[in-house]
Amino acid sequence: MKYDVIVIGGGHNGLVNAAYLARAGRKVLVLERRHVLGGAAVTEEVFPGFKYSVCSYVVSLLRPEIIRELDLPRHGMEILPLDGTFTPMPDGDYLWRVNDHAKTRREIARHSRLDAEAYDEYGKAMVEMGRFIKPMLAMTPPDPTSRDPRGLLKLLALARRFQALTLDDKDHQIQLMTMSAIDFLDRWFETDVLKATMAASGIIGTFLGVRSAGTAYVLLHHYMGELDGAFRSWGLARGGTGAISQAIADAARAAGAEVRTNAAVARIVTKEGTATGVVLANGDEIHASAVSSSLDPHRTFLKMLEPAHLPGDFVDGVRRYKLRGSSGKVNLALDALPDFTCLPGPGRHLRGAVSISPSVDYMERAYDEAKYGRFSRRPYVDVVIPSLTDPSIAPPGKHVMSCFVQYAPYHLTEGSWDDKREEFGDTILDTIAEYAPNLKSIILHRQVLTPLDLEREFGLTEGNIFQGELTLEQLFFLRPVPGWAAYRTPVRRLYMCGSATHPGGGIMGAPGRNAAMAILRDTRLR
Amino acid sequence: MRVLIIGAGHNGLVTAFYLAKAGLKPTVLERRDRVGGVAITDEIHPGFRCSTLAHWIAPIRPQIVRDMELERHGVRFTQPAVRVFAPGPDGRALALYDDPSRTARELEKQSALEARRYLEFHDTIARIGRVLNSVRSVTPPSIQSPSGGDLWSLAKLARRFRGLSRANQFRVLRWFPMAVADLVGEWFQDDLLRATIAARGIFGACAGPRSAFTGAHLLMHAAADGHGAGAATLTVGGLGALTAAMASAAREAGAEIRPHAEVTRILVANGRATGVALASGEEISGRAIVSAADPQRTFLSLVPSGELDPGFASKVRNYRVSGVVAKVNLALAALPKFTAAPADGAALLLSGRIHVGPAIDYLERAFDAAKYGAWSSEPYLDLTIPSVTDPSLAPPGAHVMSIHVQFAPFRLRHGTWSEHREALGDTVVRTLETYAPGISQLILQRQVITPADLESTYGLTGGHIFHGELAPDQFFAMRPILGWASYRTPIQNLYLCGSGTHPGDGVTGASGANASREILKDVRKRG
Repeated sequence: MKYDVIVIGGGHNGLVNAAYLARAGRKVLVLERRHVLGGAAVTEEVFPGFKYSVCSYVVSLLRPEIIRELDLPRHGMEILPLDGTFTPMPDGDYLWRVNDHAKTRREIARHSRLDAEAYDEYGKAMVEMGRFIKPMLAMTPPDPTSRDPRGLLKLLALARRFQALTLDDKDHQIQLMTMSAIDFLDRWFETDVLKATMAASGIIGTFLGVRSAGTAYVLLHHYMGELDGAFRSWGLARGGTGAISQAIADAARAAGAEVRTNAAVARIVTKEGTATGVVLANGDEIHASAVSSSLDPHRTFLKMLEPAHLPGDFVDGVRRYKLRGSSGKVNLALDALPDFTCLPGPGRHLRGAVSISPSVDYMERAYDEAKYGRFSRRPYVDVVIPSLTDPSIAPPGKHVMSCFVQYAPYHLTEGSWDDKREEFGDTILDTIAEYAPNLKSIILHRQVLTPLDLEREFGLTEGNIFQGELTLEQLFFLRPVPGWAAYRTPVRRLYMCGSATHPGGGIMGAPGRNAAMAILRDTRLR
Repeated sequence: MRVLIIGAGHNGLVTAFYLAKAGLKPTVLERRDRVGGVAITDEIHPGFRCSTLAHWIAPIRPQIVRDMELERHGVRFTQPAVRVFAPGPDGRALALYDDPSRTARELEKQSALEARRYLEFHDTIARIGRVLNSVRSVTPPSIQSPSGGDLWSLAKLARRFRGLSRANQFRVLRWFPMAVADLVGEWFQDDLLRATIAARGIFGACAGPRSAFTGAHLLMHAAADGHGAGAATLTVGGLGALTAAMASAAREAGAEIRPHAEVTRILVANGRATGVALASGEEISGRAIVSAADPQRTFLSLVPSGELDPGFASKVRNYRVSGVVAKVNLALAALPKFTAAPADGAALLLSGRIHVGPAIDYLERAFDAAKYGAWSSEPYLDLTIPSVTDPSLAPPGAHVMSIHVQFAPFRLRHGTWSEHREALGDTVVRTLETYAPGISQLILQRQVITPADLESTYGLTGGHIFHGELAPDQFFAMRPILGWASYRTPIQNLYLCGSGTHPGDGVTGASGANASREILKDVRKRG
């Protein structure tokens, strides 16, 4: 049995890739190592009755064209709104931003009247910037060193679009691409807690601090999330994040793709520099005219292929590609709701994200510890209680709480993550309990995921949730390896389609879709 | 045609020279009693003279040296055989020579791979540097409506860039946004070597080696010096000798230089600069006014408020100009003994820059303090002992040491710089004791120049030695403000020529030379 394309990895990008290929009439097989589909976008019943979005837990970046083209709502995807961000402060105050604009304005004005005004301006500017960047997401990055006129025309078109911006928007664009989140926000706002909480989105998944240059860009990344056309909103998938993967898998199957779980790929088979199939861990060999890997380049090229058979400078580039995981996750099954001292009771504030980001210095110090190889003693935590919005994921009256934690550096200076797992978990609970003292008494079960667990369990090398840092030297035509940003590889008929390719991580699906277009272009020419 | 130049620093003097050479009548107005700006030599103790602020040259663009005939005007450049000497706390040391093959021979004793990598690195820096150097001499293009000339010069730059090998093209693109710690990590194993090279990416910057875009800093310096080890050119008599020669060349060309002439206001009528008012009350009119002062000083204190568009003024206020550098100068009774520099080789090893900052983590920790408004308890130091090669600076057997100290943030969270001055001096000396035990007993005089002094005494707003952070949002077409990078300003006939304009790093004279070219273009256009 021979397939047109084998897709390695049944994460959301692998599935998107397969769905588009199948819709174009290709015979596609998706191979997933685990027993469950979804990769890092997965729902698992870790404790009976409690369904965790084990890794990725919110959605906003999923490309609207993918939702439309794959008709995901018909395949069961439903996004529920996640309302606002609540930041408790140590002095008993809080900052609570919600989707209701007027209300958020009043709340910010409570901290600073000037900031409330700036907030409107800021929102408008970011939407403009998002509009500029958005078309780039669906683009195969051109190679700036190539003499191929098509690539040059693409670059020229980019330059023209930039040229068409107003001077102020150009200024903002350059600042966003280069500044730190805090330096950028300093130009707009004065309230420390507001800046700290807004800056948090700039550091998620990166090994950078809120004062590190290059983090402002990620602020924009998070402004590009579109849900039903509404800029900037975040949501939860009904049934957990895994439901999105399931919907994409259904779309792929409906188009004729075959999807197998418990099918770990051990090796990619090549013949005279051309990929011809894969060998599974159980020894089975499956043939295909092309192979598309949604794994990161370290896994794809250093483990599944013989690096000695690849060009030396390419392998150097793969080795240099920085993964450096910096985050961990704690998932809790709760008997009741946490009670925050600064705003007691089960209010609407618990239906959004609760952000432990009380000050800019707090965030920066959390990073400083990680730089020297320790996990933060007082980390940034992004807490979501999805069972409040979607009661189907927990038994009646009980709750599921997801705590995303940063920083947890993959490389520890002292000890190993296996020894530190529980200490790490305790640190997170201690941190949240400073604001919600009842937390520890309502925990039924806890699951602690260190970067090492993310690597072992979910195949995220070094525990990096984006399959590689979203720093500028690893974006666009530099992602993942300079000269190899067009989803193609030095091995003929071997493609990359995961988050390690442009435009990067998050449940966006764009890499999978863009790679499918590249594969279709190549195979059409044959 | 009379042109007034505010400030007699190196860029002001270079501008004055070129304008005078072209037949204009420039008058340079200097607030202090001497010319030189940050490139000056002072007697810090009877018989001891030292480059007060900047202590090495970045270097001066050869064209400027030739045009101004600086050597005829008395400058003697020295290029020490050892560009950088980097002692480690364990008594081990690293010497990066002017001759890269000599450096490689030394490195080979530890590791053949490291030696090979160093040569390759040096070669790469030299090649990339040559291409980037051409960026330094162009006027940044207008972003809103690029002229034919702008597009032409961009096309020329693009061609030169594409003349690099594909690997080097990608290096430039990757390195630019990179953290310099990652950059050196890709090349070298030894932490001391990594830190010594990486320091070029953070010199004068509010950034640690793990900060993004410090790779761009390294590339910019590479563009100026094209050397794997970085610049270390000195001038006999200290940097004051350089600016004295520049002043002499400018005068010879026809410029007038007036010390004790503090400009307090730029006179503006109908959106045009018409002259300046001095602290003495005197008003001088000029057809063009050129400010070598930093952009914030120029626009926020010299230009009358109300003359600027509020949007522009707010951008100037947002221009980042908070410095992190202090300077300590020592008069020493004898040459300090560095544990890592054996007595017989000391004179050679200590002849260039001395780098104190033996590990990437050390440099990063030094930076950490600055983020929280404190100065480093173990600072990164870049020092020279110029009297090793230039005995005229100190009495026989005695020496002067000039120390660039990072990080000392302009804005302290607790207390003021006048309260912290001596403590900072003590910290520097204590740090030096680790590498040169006994140095404190040799100190005859100590001069501590805090970032607050840099602002109040030397006129550097925010104490910033480069007239504003050299970060990518303030580079090239964004320096100082996007849309106003061509040395012109929203006020007609008012120009900028200081380090707050492109390329604006270190003592190179490049900003002044570029500015004078643009001013002359306008003058010719008007006839």
